[in-house]
Amino acid sequence: MDSYAFQLYSQILKIFWRIFLIILAIAFLVFAFPYIKDVLIMFIIAWLLSVLLSPLVNFLEHKGLARGWAIFIVMILIFAIVGFSFSLLIPRIIQTVESMISKLQSDVITDYSLKIESFFQRNFNNAELGRNVTASLNDLGLKLLGSLGEFFKSVGSFLASMIIIPFITFFLIKDARRFKRALISQVPNRYFELSLNIIHKIENQVGKYIQGQATDALIVGILSIIGLFIINLVFDGPLPYFVLIGMFAGLANLIPYLGPVFGAVPAMIIAILNNPPNLGLVLLWIVIVFILVQAIDNAFVSPMVVSKSVNMHPLTVVVAVIIGGNIAGAMGMLFAVPFTGILKVASSQVIWGVKNYELRHPSRFEENSAKKNK
Amino acid sequence: MENSIWGNGIFKKKKKEDDIFAILKQVPIFSDLKPRELIEVEKIVHRRSYKKNETIIHAGDPGLGMYIIIKGSVEIIEEDEKTGKRSLANLSDGSFFGDMALLDEDPRSASAIALVDCEIMGFFRPDFLDLIYRKPKLGIKVLLALAKVIGERLRHTNELLTKIQEKKD
Repeated sequence: MDSYAFQLYSQILKIFWRIFLIILAIAFLVFAFPYIKDVLIMFIIAWLLSVLLSPLVNFLEHKGLARGWAIFIVMILIFAIVGFSFSLLIPRIIQTVESMISKLQSDVITDYSLKIESFFQRNFNNAELGRNVTASLNDLGLKLLGSLGEFFKSVGSFLASMIIIPFITFFLIKDARRFKRALISQVPNRYFELSLNIIHKIENQVGKYIQGQATDALIVGILSIIGLFIINLVFDGPLPYFVLIGMFAGLANLIPYLGPVFGAVPAMIIAILNNPPNLGLVLLWIVIVFILVQAIDNAFVSPMVVSKSVNMHPLTVVVAVIIGGNIAGAMGMLFAVPFTGILKVASSQVIWGVKNYELRHPSRFEENSAKKNK
Repeated sequence: MENSIWGNGIFKKKKKEDDIFAILKQVPIFSDLKPRELIEVEKIVHRRSYKKNETIIHAGDPGLGMYIIIKGSVEIIEEDEKTGKRSLANLSDGSFFGDMALLDEDPRSASAIALVDCEIMGFFRPDFLDLIYRKPKLGIKVLLALAKVIGERLRHTNELLTKIQEKKD
């Protein structure tokens, strides 16, 4: 056979095999996804924890501690945090949501239903319309709170099965370099430097992004707690769960544009349910607190801690939140934007690598091999 | 004859590591390191095998780090559109190249091509910077040795420039 034809044939065969393997891998992922989803989520959480905790391990190592001891101390810290969340926080959140549901089902809703009905009767002379509106609102509120309760219950059971996450995290921190070396050793020589450089850059950028987001969420959470605490002091305690609400606001801040609204709504619902004498003023102050927190976040915190390269279009945010919600429910909605951010950072580094490295130019080795084949 | 029992497993691995330490000791930037410090360096280097005529680094690519030849020989080539390819040096076991890339990401000034089948060890800037942060004493030792190597090279270049200047005059 003509050598050129043979070369072409082998190249076509190679491409065919590659496409076949890619299709096979995608088919496997689609088929296996429902079964591996939980494990995958566990690995993702462990990886996020490892990214968040690695700087702490490196810092302790920098201070002269052996790496093993540094990881050990940090792991104790993780166990303490997970233990604290599991034993204290989650049951309290579930209790809060359940008490809110029972409150909604009892006096408050009846009270508001009567008020709405009389409003419709007075202004439109139609009590039936008022009854329909209150029924719809009641239904919506119960559904919302029900799903919120389910979400926190699922987080609770998730946490219960998450004893292994700290172990995965431990090995991800301890053997990160070994994993990276093993991975990079499989890359062909031609793409070796490119892959290594891209991996380092992605690691660096993604690490900064995740740490920035976490710091931002923490600061927004603390600021919200302080603001709500002040409202509690001034208005004689209309927000009994202000610490939890503040923490939720911090987490919700992971979603740009929509996050601040998600953060303020629970505070307003709890204020309405508690029905303090000056409810209107309390609600106004809640709105002011969240606007102030957002203003401080946008003006001072975000520019310092969150990377500018991950600015996202509002449409991207909405689409990411919807897709995240479809894949992993409320947790998916919360983490969809940070993951889109990670993908954006990673893809920008890959594009940088492809632009800056000479990939199309054949090496002398390949030129000679081609000549030999001819 | 190699013993099939003792030639395998941990003893073989130990011998391989000893070889790497011996090679690392030959490299000026690691020559002052203690065995414990060499173990730390060994943890972050990458070992690669290159076939004859295979490109190790390509001129113009962003610099990422230095390479140390464990076994084999490598040709350093300067590529120019006007003058074509020009061989700058032939390096063999224990030699190193690309060390300037430990300092910045500037494009590689020359290409390196394997003249025979080679075993190469790569030591890269991100790992080096990480080492400087995690183990400052060790990092500074390596950094100082690197500065000495570059300083010596600069001195040599100055001498050559002076000679050329004198010849011109």
